[in-house]
Amino acid sequence: MNKIIFMVDEKNIVLTDLVKVFKKRRKDEVRAVDGVNMEIKQGELFGLLGPNGAGKTTLIKCISTLLIPDAGTATVGGADIQKDPLGVRRMIGVLTGGERSLYWKLTPLENLKYFAALYGVPRKITAERIDYLLDLMELKDKSHERVERLSSGMKQKLSIARTLIHDPPILLIDEPTLGLDPYFARFIRGFIKKELHDKLGKTILLTTHYMDEADELCERVAFMYNGKLTALDTPVLLKQSMSQEQILEVKCLGDLDEKAFSHMHEEMGISITKSDGLTYIHISTENPEDLLSRVIDTVRDHVKVLSVNVTTPTLEDVFVHLTGVSLKDDTTQRE
Amino acid sequence: MRVIIEEIKKDIRILLTYPAEIAFWIISPLLWVVPLVFQGKALIGGLQSTAFANLAGTGEYIPYVLIGGIFSTYMFTAVWSMGNALRNEMFYGTLEHILSSPVRPIYILLGKGLYNSLLSTFFVTIQILICVFLFGLDITLQKIVPIAFFLVLLMIGLYGVGFIASALTLLIKEAQGVLHLFEYILFLFTPIRYPVEVHPITRAVSLFIPLTYALVALRGILLGIEFDFVKNSLILVALDAIIVPVGIWIFMRIEQRTKRRGTLAHY
Amino acid sequence: MVRLNKLTHYIRAINAENIKEWRIEWKYKPDFFRQFLAPFVYLLPFFLYGVALLGGRFSEHLRSLTGVGDMIAYTFIGYLIMGFLNTACWAMGWSLRKEQWYGTLDTIFAAPVPRWVYVAGMAAHSTCHQGLIMLLQAIVITILFSIAFQTSGIMLVFLIVALMVIGLYGLGVLIAGLTIGLKQWWVISEALSTLMLIVTPIAYPLAVLPVFLRRVSMLLPTTYGVMGARYLLLGEQINIGLGMIFIRLAVILVVWLSIGMTIFLLMDRFGRKKGFASLY
Repeated sequence: MNKIIFMVDEKNIVLTDLVKVFKKRRKDEVRAVDGVNMEIKQGELFGLLGPNGAGKTTLIKCISTLLIPDAGTATVGGADIQKDPLGVRRMIGVLTGGERSLYWKLTPLENLKYFAALYGVPRKITAERIDYLLDLMELKDKSHERVERLSSGMKQKLSIARTLIHDPPILLIDEPTLGLDPYFARFIRGFIKKELHDKLGKTILLTTHYMDEADELCERVAFMYNGKLTALDTPVLLKQSMSQEQILEVKCLGDLDEKAFSHMHEEMGISITKSDGLTYIHISTENPEDLLSRVIDTVRDHVKVLSVNVTTPTLEDVFVHLTGVSLKDDTTQRE
Repeated sequence: MRVIIEEIKKDIRILLTYPAEIAFWIISPLLWVVPLVFQGKALIGGLQSTAFANLAGTGEYIPYVLIGGIFSTYMFTAVWSMGNALRNEMFYGTLEHILSSPVRPIYILLGKGLYNSLLSTFFVTIQILICVFLFGLDITLQKIVPIAFFLVLLMIGLYGVGFIASALTLLIKEAQGVLHLFEYILFLFTPIRYPVEVHPITRAVSLFIPLTYALVALRGILLGIEFDFVKNSLILVALDAIIVPVGIWIFMRIEQRTKRRGTLAHY
Repeated sequence: MVRLNKLTHYIRAINAENIKEWRIEWKYKPDFFRQFLAPFVYLLPFFLYGVALLGGRFSEHLRSLTGVGDMIAYTFIGYLIMGFLNTACWAMGWSLRKEQWYGTLDTIFAAPVPRWVYVAGMAAHSTCHQGLIMLLQAIVITILFSIAFQTSGIMLVFLIVALMVIGLYGLGVLIAGLTIGLKQWWVISEALSTLMLIVTPIAYPLAVLPVFLRRVSMLLPTTYGVMGARYLLLGEQINIGLGMIFIRLAVILVVWLSIGMTIFLLMDRFGRKKGFASLY
């Protein structure tokens, strides 16, 4: 199949002290991206992991020239995002906004034809390219159906097809599985890893707040919180950074008031999450056995303890340890 | 009643965040009339027309079109605000929440309708005051009660139209075209800009539209044009008595139908 | 290495934008056909009002001012030419807002085309769209009201209208830019549109306007578009020559396009700085 070939630098994405500030009406400001430094190599699948409001989407928008940063520089494939935005946009495919980034009144075929023309796909290979992408995303039998009638998962697949229409060497993918059911989420993750990264060798910057996603897919992961990168390494090494520590997980029935732990919060990284009437307490500690009795004493008057586990740290645990907040927390007032 | 009041309060709060819009709706109906004034001057060279007087009962075409322009505000807001009320909730994704609340949607529409009546009255009052100071329009206390009487009858009739418009947006989804058609009919076949007697078709269709009788009455009161007070009142009451229940019935039938089909919240 | 031919790319992108909009509009069929009715609905009141004032179709006073006594023919040409104002104020102005509403603005702005390409696409579509509506209107009204035109200058009429339309693109682009940054952009659009409807000699000659409004009218491309078209089609008496009409249109075109593009690019930059370009 004919390909569109780009010449890119070995270091595909380089960010240097990148800053993006949003000013609110009452003169307070939000530093959505606060001095980010990062280099992503050619062919790397790089993850940006952080809770809602950490600044991930803002960072993607800066790199894709949709936002103008307030300080710092960034280059994509050697092109500066401020001096040569067109050059940057030629090399990137951006997946942001999910299903809302399509024309719902048009069919997948009509959408892809339009974006092919917009993104400069040569006419003689457009039909072939669209055919290939619809086949790849298993959307061929839906190609003449209006997008508004497709399920969320199919819409997201079509969004990915649209992102790939001009065969860009660099992909910026923002929360690709957000709101999808497990089947489609699994498909998208597998597709990113096996097809885009392993087979096609794309350079991918992926943002997510799902720890499993980052752990499963990414060669390196950076933690982002309050606009800053707090850590950057491979998932294995990040987890090993807490190798002295273990995670004490206590599962309880009932709703626990977080104030019950206020006396302990400052001493160690404690994460409390609630789901379906259950409360999960995660504490990173070198001595889970010593801590257990204190924890049980604290919670027994408030909830019923169902189980106690001691596990090795996950990426989420490392994140909590470094930042004090969970990936499931919402810090959107900051973004 | 509480729901209606809350709906009104909510819409007022939202409007106050758009001061430019408030200024726009005060001034623009008067501006839309300006080309007609210049056209009149170009065609007849003066401020009075005998041909116009034969049709409209007054040869002074400028006050005639001003009154039409001002009071047509009620018509536009009824069609668009009520017609779009539920459609906007569909767009926001809040329609199903509203419809599953223990409040009948008809009351929400009524709230929207009342809000727009209040708003239109506010705008119209300011426009009339502008006309009094700039164009010497004569308005006395004695005229206010009959004006208010006909306005109430007009608004009630327009609520009926609003219910129908809203029902169509539930049914058709892409109802902008339908709302425009409502607007076109009201625009062409009522004496907003010209006496409907100018053409037999406009005259015939206008007989079925409440705005026709309201404008005749309002112009009669404000400009001293002779008109049959009792006849216009009775016809307006009769039209309202038909349009409002029909509008409510159509709305409730279509609401039930869309609930059965499961298309209620589809945008 | 395969290089993408830039000019081919941009032309394709412009055409793709045009085709996409037609496709989307066609999916809203009731509204698609309704738009063809609208010009008649807004034109007929001018006619009926005129007939009510005159008791017929012909006006001696209008003849004495313009040399044309047929109120319907006079008004019709003015209204027809002014139809392109919709192109600028609403079709082009609304296009970015539509993309914000669809949620596709970010995707479009991330495409490797300069902003003017997208603007040109909007202009292409709105011109085709409005042109089609006006062609239909012209045929129907001409037949219905038996309007007779002078056809010898028809090509010059097209040229005048083309220059006027390009000037109006400047306004359209300006309004498109405003939609990026201003919540109540439509108020400005409506205000500009209303002002132009008042001071452009659609249904009356400039002579009936107050002096200060006449001066404002001289700055608008629509004034020259209407005057030139009526001069060529109906023989209206005008106080400036045809050559001057072309010259002024050319100057206005350059000025309006420049201002429009400047404001658009400034608002685009402003939106990207502040981060609300894609917010509806």
